[in-house]
Amino acid sequence: MSNKIKHFGLLFILVFAILSPVHAGEPDKATILTTTTDLADITKAIAGDKAIVKSIASGKEDPHFLTAKPGFIVQARDANVWIRIGLDLEVGWESPILRDSRNLRIQEGAPGHIDASAGVMVLDVPQQRVTRDMGDVHPYGNPHYWLDPLNGRIMAKTIANRLSELYPEQKAIFQTNLKAFEKALDLRMFGKALVSRYGGARLWKLHLKGNLLQTLDADGQRNELAGWYGMLIPYQGYSIVTYHRSWIYLTERFGLKTPIELEPKPGVPPGSKHLARVIETVKNVQIHVILQEPFYSRKAADLVSEKTGVTVVVCPNTVNGAAEANSYLELIDIAVRNLTKALEIR
Amino acid sequence: MKRLAMFWFALVLVVGTVSAAHSFAQDNAGQGESDEESLYEAIKSKVKKTDDSNRLVRGLDLDASVVIDAFYYHDDTDEGMAHVKEEILGFGHSHGGEDHDHSEVENGFNLRHIELGLSAEVDPYFRAWTTLAIEDGNSEIEEAVIQTTSLPYGLTLSGGKFYSGIGRINRQHSHNWDFFDQPLVYELMFGPHGLQEKGAQLSWLAPTPFYLLFGAEALNGENEKMFQHVEADELPSKDGPRLWTSFIKFSPGLGDRHAMQFGLSYATGYHQEAHDGNEDGTNDHWLHGRTHLWGADFVYKYDDRKKNGHGDFVLQAEYYNRKKDLEVEQHDLVPAFTGRDKIENQDGYYVQALYGFAPRWRAGLRWEQVGLTNDVELPDMTEESYGSSSRGAAMLDWKLSEFSLLRLQSARCDFELEDGDQKAWEFALQWQVTFGKHSAHDF
Repeated sequence: MSNKIKHFGLLFILVFAILSPVHAGEPDKATILTTTTDLADITKAIAGDKAIVKSIASGKEDPHFLTAKPGFIVQARDANVWIRIGLDLEVGWESPILRDSRNLRIQEGAPGHIDASAGVMVLDVPQQRVTRDMGDVHPYGNPHYWLDPLNGRIMAKTIANRLSELYPEQKAIFQTNLKAFEKALDLRMFGKALVSRYGGARLWKLHLKGNLLQTLDADGQRNELAGWYGMLIPYQGYSIVTYHRSWIYLTERFGLKTPIELEPKPGVPPGSKHLARVIETVKNVQIHVILQEPFYSRKAADLVSEKTGVTVVVCPNTVNGAAEANSYLELIDIAVRNLTKALEIR
Repeated sequence: MKRLAMFWFALVLVVGTVSAAHSFAQDNAGQGESDEESLYEAIKSKVKKTDDSNRLVRGLDLDASVVIDAFYYHDDTDEGMAHVKEEILGFGHSHGGEDHDHSEVENGFNLRHIELGLSAEVDPYFRAWTTLAIEDGNSEIEEAVIQTTSLPYGLTLSGGKFYSGIGRINRQHSHNWDFFDQPLVYELMFGPHGLQEKGAQLSWLAPTPFYLLFGAEALNGENEKMFQHVEADELPSKDGPRLWTSFIKFSPGLGDRHAMQFGLSYATGYHQEAHDGNEDGTNDHWLHGRTHLWGADFVYKYDDRKKNGHGDFVLQAEYYNRKKDLEVEQHDLVPAFTGRDKIENQDGYYVQALYGFAPRWRAGLRWEQVGLTNDVELPDMTEESYGSSSRGAAMLDWKLSEFSLLRLQSARCDFELEDGDQKAWEFALQWQVTFGKHSAHDF
């Protein structure tokens, strides 16, 4: 018995030792594994055809909750670079995948481990001691930061710079691709006329300082304002309700307010008592839109809608979360267009 | 002369225009670059306020977590379930001459040990974790593991005291079980703690396009039920390691929503027993030999991608077969038995299925049997073949959050005991919380 098994084992090892080099694929192309589809799309834009980019999450599920499947471990084993959202978004599954991959290149702290949250503008950083009584509060801040297009721009820059350090021979290509991505994003954000007059970076800078509109007025360019910013500018100061605090990066960027969520606390499903409070707020503040992701149940939103007439908008918050959200820029575009449409209707 | 002047004039004009145009272009480019730079300066100054520096030193922390597992239990047996299980034919006592603990579950309120887990990256070469089981007046090291993090070729070496990598449930701590209790085949073959040993493990993640893991372990062999060394003059003394195991895990890629894993395990080691046949308080016969164990495990998981496990499905099964091949070393009651064989061959399996019928709610069914093969060859040259025992359980659990759980379980037992068939009901209501570090779950 014991001998048979030994021989069987040896045979196995031999067969796979022989097979092992076969699957290596294209040897001179780096394999980049990202945790989410948003990271994968931005990374593809930067790396172009110089790397094979794959994502662990499919975009269809809540990225907080994934199972560390053996298939992911195999992908991580072969990756040259690992890019994550960070801020504890992947806390439930990243460490077993990295550990079991046994891949030294991508362990936390290694040059091949990129945390895309480095340098982004983080919201909801707790100002007090965090306890789990507060629900799923992320101690390092709200991790849904990719929904702010400016953060998307920063993520692209971080990824381009880190990839340039890892693959200096491709630096020129990465930086060119970065410029193209930034340009595309700026055009979508502010429209063609303003970007060609001022340049994207300058518009962002003015926007950050809070004097974009004054500058445009002074230059008589207010009418040229287009893109996402132009679409949502009529609704600045309006309030909307979201299911989870996952949209605050988008709402903050475009000057929308989120006075209440359908969840009483992050990660805690809505109960009737809290929904009564939501209905009251919707009536008092004159809210017209509920925004939520497709993976949450619509029950609570529909109930509030029934009682108040508020429009329920279901939008993916991640690339591939819906068929039409096939790129990062499309993702933001869908959210902005759907929001604008819902805000217009009333 | 005039021509020369005009030439110079033209030359100056051309050079001037070109250089002016050039510097204008450069200025413009510079303007774009500096806008880009100053944008990031502006972002950086805003980020400084929010970027929490403690995020960066987090890896230096010691991750600690505590599990409290309280439950109400009731069964309708007269002598208590722990004793009934000890009477199951083919899986009975195998005294090591010392008192053994049953981790006994009593009717009424119970508290499973407090589990204290600590883990950290040690240095660039090792990680380590330990799990301490603390009970009233008693504490035990469940695991204390040092593991390499930087071996090449997909190799990992672990050492210390750990749960063997054989099977599937063996590696899971009690708070990670999908049911209130562990399957019968585990409890009866390995005892309450599974195959938990001091030793070393080497595993290799093969560079195949699918998941393929090989593992081998050298263990000391201190499992009371199957791989035990008894300190007695009557028995030969064997140096450790006395137990060797090996396992293979294989998982084909099945796309986003599906995951499947197969495993095969094998273990062989010395086993010794000391028995008190006439129950006078002193041991009177001693056995020595080897135990061979092999097992197969399977798990399939379906991820419906709805919130909080809604629609998810898990099907899991394990089978074990063990053969104790022992020889009587000394028999004070019947000296003629000395040198004769005592061979026991038993097996068992469980199949369980779980379904998330609502967010955070799961329902589960488990069916198990032990002793389908249940043959004993005794030193008096007789051979016995016993019947099998079975149990069916239904489970309902509610994970209020990642950190707390309520579970209701009911089971119907049909056990084959020495004094006949015993049927019994088991009922448990479990209340379990984890606090401390946010745990990440293995597959």
